[in-house]
Amino acid sequence: MIRKGLAGGSYKPLTPEAISKINETALRIIEEIGCEVNSDIALASMEKAGAIVNKKQRRVRLSPQKALELISKAPSEITLCGQDEKHDIHLGGNRVYTGTGGTALYIYEPHTDQRRQATLDDLKRIARLVDNLDNIHLFMLPTYPTELPLEQVDVNRFFAGLDNTTKHIMGGVYTHDGVQQVIRMAKIVAGSAEALRQRPLISMIACSISPFIIDGEYGDVMVAIAKSGVPLVCPAEPLCGATSPVTLAGNLVVQTVDSLMGVMLAQAVNPGTPVIFGSVATSTDLRDLKYIAGSVEMGLLNAAGAQMAQFYKLPFYATGGMTDSKALDAQSGYESSITGLLCALAGANFIHDAAGLMEFALTACYEKYVIDNEILGMVMRAVEGIRVDDETLAFDIIKEVGPGGNFVTAKHTRRFMRQEHYQPSLSDRNSREVWEARGKKTTWEMASEKVRTILDSHTGGLPDTVRSRILSEIKGIVD
Amino acid sequence: MPEDIIDLIRESVIQGRVTKDDEGLDEDMVGQPGMSELIEEALISGVDAQDIINQGLTAAMKIVGKRFEAEEYYIPDMLASAEAVGVAMEILEPELTRSGVKPKGKIIIATVKGDLHDIGKNIVSILLRGAGYIVKDLGNDIETKDIVKAVKKEKPEFLGLSALLTSTMVNMEDTIKALTESGLRDKVKIVIGGAPVSEEYAESIGADGYGADGFQAVAVVEALNSGTTGNK
Repeated sequence: MIRKGLAGGSYKPLTPEAISKINETALRIIEEIGCEVNSDIALASMEKAGAIVNKKQRRVRLSPQKALELISKAPSEITLCGQDEKHDIHLGGNRVYTGTGGTALYIYEPHTDQRRQATLDDLKRIARLVDNLDNIHLFMLPTYPTELPLEQVDVNRFFAGLDNTTKHIMGGVYTHDGVQQVIRMAKIVAGSAEALRQRPLISMIACSISPFIIDGEYGDVMVAIAKSGVPLVCPAEPLCGATSPVTLAGNLVVQTVDSLMGVMLAQAVNPGTPVIFGSVATSTDLRDLKYIAGSVEMGLLNAAGAQMAQFYKLPFYATGGMTDSKALDAQSGYESSITGLLCALAGANFIHDAAGLMEFALTACYEKYVIDNEILGMVMRAVEGIRVDDETLAFDIIKEVGPGGNFVTAKHTRRFMRQEHYQPSLSDRNSREVWEARGKKTTWEMASEKVRTILDSHTGGLPDTVRSRILSEIKGIVD
Repeated sequence: MPEDIIDLIRESVIQGRVTKDDEGLDEDMVGQPGMSELIEEALISGVDAQDIINQGLTAAMKIVGKRFEAEEYYIPDMLASAEAVGVAMEILEPELTRSGVKPKGKIIIATVKGDLHDIGKNIVSILLRGAGYIVKDLGNDIETKDIVKAVKKEKPEFLGLSALLTSTMVNMEDTIKALTESGLRDKVKIVIGGAPVSEEYAESIGADGYGADGFQAVAVVEALNSGTTGNK
């Protein structure tokens, strides 16, 4: 039983009044302070859409009315499609899905307790692994192929994804030309430009820079993606005490403004284009200004972000499920669990970075994908909540069994045991004797065995005709 | 036709369906004939009872056992399967007696004095019945003298003793001593089980076998029955 797209929303760190105040403050910032836009085409698009533009300062401001008008043009429901329809995910409302995230530069190997540089081959292998992990619903390209020159990165990353999993592929992009080539590639896989519009097999991410900057290159990329109609994620990454106020409310205001700027730009370029409101908001280590990936505040901020997205009726991209630990230890487990759980219970539509990442998101780890798959299965079970009706209350069965009886042989038990209770795919529930007899394996050792089994048995890949067409038409792919 | 019905009987065990009203593991099985209906039908069409047992019931329980070991089946699944086999055996019994087939063996089972826990013991009973044995379940909190009396009267091939508490598990040893004193110890193979019990403990009190769980209990009884030495 795979749990995905279930309704969250039982956890609400923000009251309705708090949501209103964050909204009012964000709109006030958009009107009074505005955003610096360093891309000419983005600046022109915003001006054309009715923004107040100070060209000298490259500053874009919008009245609250204009801002809300642009935001309302964005669709509130977006379907991200997999090559296999069973992997389609329907973002919107408070439905919850999970996925990988990136972009890590290293791979941690628990056997040696060392990290090494990530390669294109890692990306392919992680795609195959995630293709087989049911509680990870979407594949976001998780690693950066450090051996490739920049101009080959975009095409190779997306090809590695499309060729090794039938789940939806989301990814960050690095060059304007890369975006064009990747979209061409996706059209070949989908069958045509129209088929890709109908069933977007890929989506792309272009971040704004907190506080309040749309970068030159990234602004161009955002416009290009918005024009193509490929779903676009506009995340903002305000860091408490560094690129946003240290307070969580202040951080939420900056995140809201920065992400809304991306949403508005996309709507200015192509009204109605699918765009996802995103948050990568988190804490800063104020001892050395490091980005923190496993703080409880990150869970709170992204849970609150889900509430803000629901308020604006925009699909939401949250960040949760990571750890700052350098090893697969207790910290790695509790940080991933707490941040992931808070986002999910708040009804965050798509929790990215939810599997495989550690060490400030610098490092990915094969074993951690398997461990996080287990955590996410439990998280999704928590999202599902408790079904209460006559059948689950089970009065008749209780009456039949009576005082001192047992429910082991009751048919009711058999009917509900697999669906009511999450079935672990990794956790050890053996007695001490059995656990000892089986070699006292740690979680990562068991995860490691699973990685090997999956990678040894994985089959699949793009159809030969599609594959050879891509290899002949798109330059720079390392096969 | 006989082949087909034996396939259906096997499937009934795997699904754990006693009658046509049972749902089984897979959806939409309600309404299809269950074990009771299938056995009646098989007997009417003249299928040999021994074939039903060997090719149908026993073969299917082996599959169930494998699924349980693979952690695909849980205790309630395996109990439903064993229950289906037990029901089949009940219907087949007169037919077996008529054709002079001897039952596999008789087993007396009890939770010892002072101990009120019986879930595990009941599970073992269902499984042993599922394996084709005649099981007489004395219940829980059974006085040592009553166990001795039952062994004397019923002359079973096996005696199963269960305890969940470390404080009551010593009564297993007392029971074995009492059987020795009554001269009955050599007439019956004793197999013990329960959470605090171990292989070492079984050996130390002079039991013939130990089952860590229901399946192992059946395996030990089967091994002792076929003349091998159980799990020792």
